[in-house]
Amino acid sequence: MSQPIIEIANLVKRYEMGDEEVFALQGVTLTIGRNEYVALMGPSGSGKSTLMNMLGCLDTPTSGSYLFTGENVSDMDDDDLAEIRNREIGFVFQTFNLLPRATALQNVELPLVYAGMAKDQRMQRATEALKRVGLADRMDHKPNELSGGQRQRVAIARALVTSPSIILADEPTGNLDSKTGQDIMRLFGELWRGGNTVILVTHEEDVARHARRIIRLRDGRIESDEVNPHAPLA
Amino acid sequence: MLRWPELQESFRIATSSLRVNLLRSILTTAGVVVGVVLVVLMGWTINGLDAVWEQTISIIGKDMMYIDKWNWAGGGNWRKMEARSNITLDQALQLQQRMESAEDIIPLIRKWGGSVSLGNTSIRCSVTGTTAAYGNTAAGTAAAGRFFNGVEEHSADKVVVIGYNVNKNLFPTSSAVGQSIKIAGIPYRVVGVIEKRGFLFMDFVDNEVFIPLHAFRGAYGFVGRSFSVGIKTGSERLLDIVRDEATGHMRSIRNVSPLDDSDFSINEMKAFDQQAKNIRVGIWVVGMGLTILAFIVGSIGIMNIMYVSVTERTKEIGVRKAIGARRSSILLQFLIESALLCVTGAVIAFPIAQVLVGSARFLAVSVFELEWASVVSPLIPLDLLGIAVGVSILVGLLAGLLPAIKASALDPVEALRAE
Repeated sequence: MSQPIIEIANLVKRYEMGDEEVFALQGVTLTIGRNEYVALMGPSGSGKSTLMNMLGCLDTPTSGSYLFTGENVSDMDDDDLAEIRNREIGFVFQTFNLLPRATALQNVELPLVYAGMAKDQRMQRATEALKRVGLADRMDHKPNELSGGQRQRVAIARALVTSPSIILADEPTGNLDSKTGQDIMRLFGELWRGGNTVILVTHEEDVARHARRIIRLRDGRIESDEVNPHAPLA
Repeated sequence: MLRWPELQESFRIATSSLRVNLLRSILTTAGVVVGVVLVVLMGWTINGLDAVWEQTISIIGKDMMYIDKWNWAGGGNWRKMEARSNITLDQALQLQQRMESAEDIIPLIRKWGGSVSLGNTSIRCSVTGTTAAYGNTAAGTAAAGRFFNGVEEHSADKVVVIGYNVNKNLFPTSSAVGQSIKIAGIPYRVVGVIEKRGFLFMDFVDNEVFIPLHAFRGAYGFVGRSFSVGIKTGSERLLDIVRDEATGHMRSIRNVSPLDDSDFSINEMKAFDQQAKNIRVGIWVVGMGLTILAFIVGSIGIMNIMYVSVTERTKEIGVRKAIGARRSSILLQFLIESALLCVTGAVIAFPIAQVLVGSARFLAVSVFELEWASVVSPLIPLDLLGIAVGVSILVGLLAGLLPAIKASALDPVEALRAE
């Protein structure tokens, strides 16, 4: 395995729902290396979303350790986590989550705004990212002037723009028709072949099949973790 | 740490959010609008009063003091003052001889409730007998013609200098200078008209005519009247020195025992400053009270709408946090939005305040013909605009603080889940 980006050991996440304690994750141990293409699968309630939130540094574990590129993130404060997310993680959401009143370019620039980058440099990098996803001619469009597939491409450009260590996609084709979904999956494939580390979170086998490695969760534990035999050739 | 790109982004978001919810934003700022309008009106009123007061006091003469049987500002015991012996011309002249620090000593004797007539028109006014030196004081400055001179004072000439209101009432269209009017049945030649002096509640000073002392004695006599001695110091700085010297001389002239209080009052225009100050404070207190009330109401409105805004944009906050916005970024974003909301209120308030101020002045000057109002500025004072903007920014920041903290503390996972 290549140099690890994510090293998780005995990760536990416990929620309190009223009087009841819910263990969303019950000791997950996992390592993901650079330039891997991983699909995280599992039915609802399997802990898949919770694990994704942990991997994305949106949430911290109740116990266990999480090293992200060697840094211990399990006891970082909010602002440190925000900085890791900004620098190292590109999120792609099922519902795109673009800012409705901002243009495609402004949406893509946003992570760089929070990185404190100057306007000129932001414009340049955001433009490049939009070119990579094939939207060079849609930069000044607002989300409501774009199709679903185009919106998701904008979101992917936004995830790419900071050159993050991982791209974390949560059901990225869930709101798209199957043809557009395939286009998007092709784009993820290209990113992976271009050297990016891609983690897909999905419950669809069709989507997961694109990945090189499939991790299945059930009841807060890893059920299986294997190389995908159907993966298209690199 | 505050980063410039974030600040710019915050302004961009805030302005676009205000634009999108334009009507809501404007309605929300109503309280702030009222507050700012009140601040501006209050400031304008105080400035206006100051201007009117300054005008009055400077025209009467800041370097003047008057030794009189009465205390003009109304202080002291009225019965006691009434019991004082009258100040005589002889005492005034003795003071004139002894005083060294003053520029001019001017005896004045007044007949309140006299009258002057032109043809069949007769108007009531006070008649003052004085010397030519009165013409050297700010109060004796002629707008047309001149004050009577020393030759006229000592000859048997019947000359008169008339006050602004007397002139206006007797000679509304033609020039008074050279005309003849009657005082106590005797014709006098008008040699000058005094410029307008009294404003606001000091209007009576323009209802006066001035004649030489001997003419006054001929018309009304000196008996039973108390002289007033005008002392022109020449400079405000000398008031203390001159007052001390005059008090000493006057006590000796009037044989006041060292153990007794002076049996005369020294009146200065400065004494009226206190009254002006009281009025000022009164307006300020009432105005401030109303303003604070308006701002409290306003800030509750702003706070409420900011909470609504945070709730509406929970998802957006989640997205921003996911892609790297720190707590401070979100805090800043909502504080700026809230401050901008308030500044919008201030900006709406300015034209409203200007229209109110302009109309008030127009009504006063043109419709009610209050001449004193003409010295009041028709424009809102610029420094008040600055203060109002500053205060509204502050109110915005305070009102937005709790909602902004709530937004910045949102859990990104929860926020992303919101619809």
